[in-house]
Amino acid sequence: MSFDEGLLMWLVDEGSALGASYVEARYQNDYGLTVALRNGRVLGVASFKEEGVGIRVLVDGSLGFAATNDLRREGLREALDKAVSRARSMASLRRRPIQFTEEKVGRTSYEILTRVGLGDVTVESLMGLGKEVYETLVKLINQVKLPVCTFEARTHMQEKVIVTSEGARVRSRVPRMSLSANLVLMHPQKGTLQRMKDFESSGGGELLKEWRPVETLAEEVKDLEVVLVRGVEPPREPVDVVIGSEIVGLLVHESAGHPMEADRILGREAAQAGESYVKPDMIGRFRIGSELATVIEDPTIPGSNGFYLYDDEGVPARARYLYKEGFINEALHNRHTASIFGTRSNAAARAMNYASEPIIRMSNTYLKPGNMSFEELIEGVDVGVFMKSYMEWNIDDIRWNQRYVGLETYMIRNGELAEPIRNPVLEVTTQGFYSNVMAVDKELKFYPGTCGKGEPSQGVPVWFGGPDVKLSKVRLGVSA
Amino acid sequence: MTEPMEIGRRVVERLRSSYDDVAVLLRTRDKVMVKLWNTEPSIAQSWLTTEVALLLTKSKRVVILGFSVSSPEEVFKAVENISGIVERVEESELYAPLPEPLEVRPVEGMFDPGLVHAMNDPGPLTWKIIDAALSQGVEKVAGALTLSRELRTLVTSKGFEGGEEKTYVETYLRAFKGEFSGHWAYGSSHINEYEIRRVGVRAGMYATITNSKADLQPGRYDVVLSPLVVGNLMNYVSFMSSALAVLMGYSMFIKYRPGERIASEKLTLVDTPRDPTLPNATSFDDEGVPTYDKPIIERGVFRNLLHNSGTASKLGVQSTGNSGWLMPTAWNLRLEPGNLDEEELASELRNGVIITNNWYTRLQNYVEGVFSTVVRDAALLVKDGEIVGDVGRVRIAMSFPELLSNVESLSKDVYDIKWWEVQTPIKAPYILVRNANLTKPHM
Repeated sequence: MSFDEGLLMWLVDEGSALGASYVEARYQNDYGLTVALRNGRVLGVASFKEEGVGIRVLVDGSLGFAATNDLRREGLREALDKAVSRARSMASLRRRPIQFTEEKVGRTSYEILTRVGLGDVTVESLMGLGKEVYETLVKLINQVKLPVCTFEARTHMQEKVIVTSEGARVRSRVPRMSLSANLVLMHPQKGTLQRMKDFESSGGGELLKEWRPVETLAEEVKDLEVVLVRGVEPPREPVDVVIGSEIVGLLVHESAGHPMEADRILGREAAQAGESYVKPDMIGRFRIGSELATVIEDPTIPGSNGFYLYDDEGVPARARYLYKEGFINEALHNRHTASIFGTRSNAAARAMNYASEPIIRMSNTYLKPGNMSFEELIEGVDVGVFMKSYMEWNIDDIRWNQRYVGLETYMIRNGELAEPIRNPVLEVTTQGFYSNVMAVDKELKFYPGTCGKGEPSQGVPVWFGGPDVKLSKVRLGVSA
Repeated sequence: MTEPMEIGRRVVERLRSSYDDVAVLLRTRDKVMVKLWNTEPSIAQSWLTTEVALLLTKSKRVVILGFSVSSPEEVFKAVENISGIVERVEESELYAPLPEPLEVRPVEGMFDPGLVHAMNDPGPLTWKIIDAALSQGVEKVAGALTLSRELRTLVTSKGFEGGEEKTYVETYLRAFKGEFSGHWAYGSSHINEYEIRRVGVRAGMYATITNSKADLQPGRYDVVLSPLVVGNLMNYVSFMSSALAVLMGYSMFIKYRPGERIASEKLTLVDTPRDPTLPNATSFDDEGVPTYDKPIIERGVFRNLLHNSGTASKLGVQSTGNSGWLMPTAWNLRLEPGNLDEEELASELRNGVIITNNWYTRLQNYVEGVFSTVVRDAALLVKDGEIVGDVGRVRIAMSFPELLSNVESLSKDVYDIKWWEVQTPIKAPYILVRNANLTKPHM
């Protein structure tokens, strides 16, 4: 990382001299390579590099942000002037001044060490992997066709330097790898089935082996072929439903992570991603589910997709218990929302790139696992459904009413997985889900995602996960 | 700083001997956004950026670079870093040589000097939107106002040189009263104070149109969809009309051929790059091909996929002037209006639900077009032509082919919509859809 930290310190000094009570200057450089294939043939290679500086200032109780990729001193100064002057011009429209909490901030640097550096991941190896995926899958299926198999591999290095007027100096370097596939299975009588599968973690080229992408996709496609050919309609009457960790992970991200973002609770995202069913006085008091409902948010998990040790306000990261034993417990905070709530920041401020303001984001969100095995989880179910994976999902703007449509899904009969079923719909409220959790197994698994929020929209890498979960007596719908 | 056209020329000149095709696309932006929450600004954001994208081909190998730099020297350095890669990439099945330049007829009227002036102090404009909503008796508002000026420059090794400067305003507001809310949006290349105030007025109107809740059982209902909902859903249809979306399995159009009926004969959806009033107007695409307006669906008949040179070559047709280097995209959209005023449309509904906003549209299967989307803000149950209350956050769950086929009527007025959930700007009317499937949670 060659950027001169002195320029950021100069910006902080200049911003303070212009009357800003807080100045934060963040250099961020995101760069990498993407290889795209369709049906084993290369479409193209793309290289990206987003390098610049984002400046945030607090002036007369009003917040301003400006970003530029003109890294000369005069370019940075022009951006600073815009941030300060536009924040100042908006101050008269504010009724209450914005304040930040005082925090113990970092003066440190950290980076993720890799066994195979991103620079050593060759285009040939990524193209080869994409071809191997297609050739393996095509040979594997015999009752359906695979008209589309797209494959994308991406390297992404993220470098940051954060300097604030309150003494934070944090340098970080986080490499990430990702793979994604889009598979369309087609049967002349049974129609089509579509699966998108992603792999993404912080780390280096070693992940390409650790993920076993060819084997993993092959196992899925074999199973999905059976679902497409033999799948039947889901039961109409209420049955016990076992939700696989992939859906559980997404569900806790949507219905515990998002509603526990303090900016959302306060209405800062009201016109975009919406508000929250959670109100400030519910924290620590309101029961949302059974004692098994404990949802943890932790940026410090090694190798995770949402990994960081200091947030973009320089505050040290730690695990947060969003829901704890059925109660709404701790919201995600930055220094602004912590000030309003009368608490401390728990380091949730993240920015997608240099051109983005740091806002409250999740990192790695998961439901706490239990002690039993998957076999023990389903052994008492006489007639039920196991929803292993999904395609369609959504949730309302207060994070209460949500829908997940199963993809690889089976009946459970007499405690064992039985015939496949197609497109069952789980449409539940947040309290309906967490209150009906009867049991969780010990198989904690994580899945990658890109979480969208903010205006302009920022996509940040996250993990979400959990164990498999058993719900009692659920009426499932059937997709259109 | 060097002028963008000069950067483009120097880059092409330097690289043309090493590659078969070179294209340089530069975007220089000056943009300001005021974000609102609880009736006051949460932040004023500004961007001063130059983005450079580079298309390089050699022996049918395709490499695309995107980076943020401010001088030709930095571009050369970035190209040097990847120069070895081009030889190692395999031939692209979507390769086509860059097109020879054709005469480009400029789109006039995309630049509003008044908008540039307003960027210096967006406060007064922001207050007008807030004030318009408050005048409807709402308790609080949230939203955003964005003003942007952009210079887009393209230079290719085939001799194309083009530059366009344009402006746009995008604003939307969500107004709250008690448990009820309303939302409206506007996007245009020009500031029009009447339209901007109308964002506040409409958001306020929908937040206060009823103070009653109404119960709705899941099932089939006739629905009127507002231009915001229409804009969101037509964005998905236009995405699926990209030829690359078809090739990549992200499209229901994989099952249809041009000339097939796929929608109600009342429905005509047009890609309108030459409409200067919408934010994404342009006279040339990213390969320098002149743009033209074209129907995606015309009177219910599927007419055109959207192409760049690569997808057109692959499928044996001509480019439609919609390049994106890899992904062809719609520029602006227009859903052709009908002949009813909005009261007549509501009256024709008689019994059903008026849905004024939605979000979080997701597909179970792009090939089948099966989707659901979540209703937000005013969702009004109508019985015997009267609004009886708000049904809350229900869900539309059906397939696009079914939805498009069930369009029965459209309003004669259209609205210029662009917001968080409608990224491709659209002129859209209200529409009446028969027999839509509405769902809500089982527990």
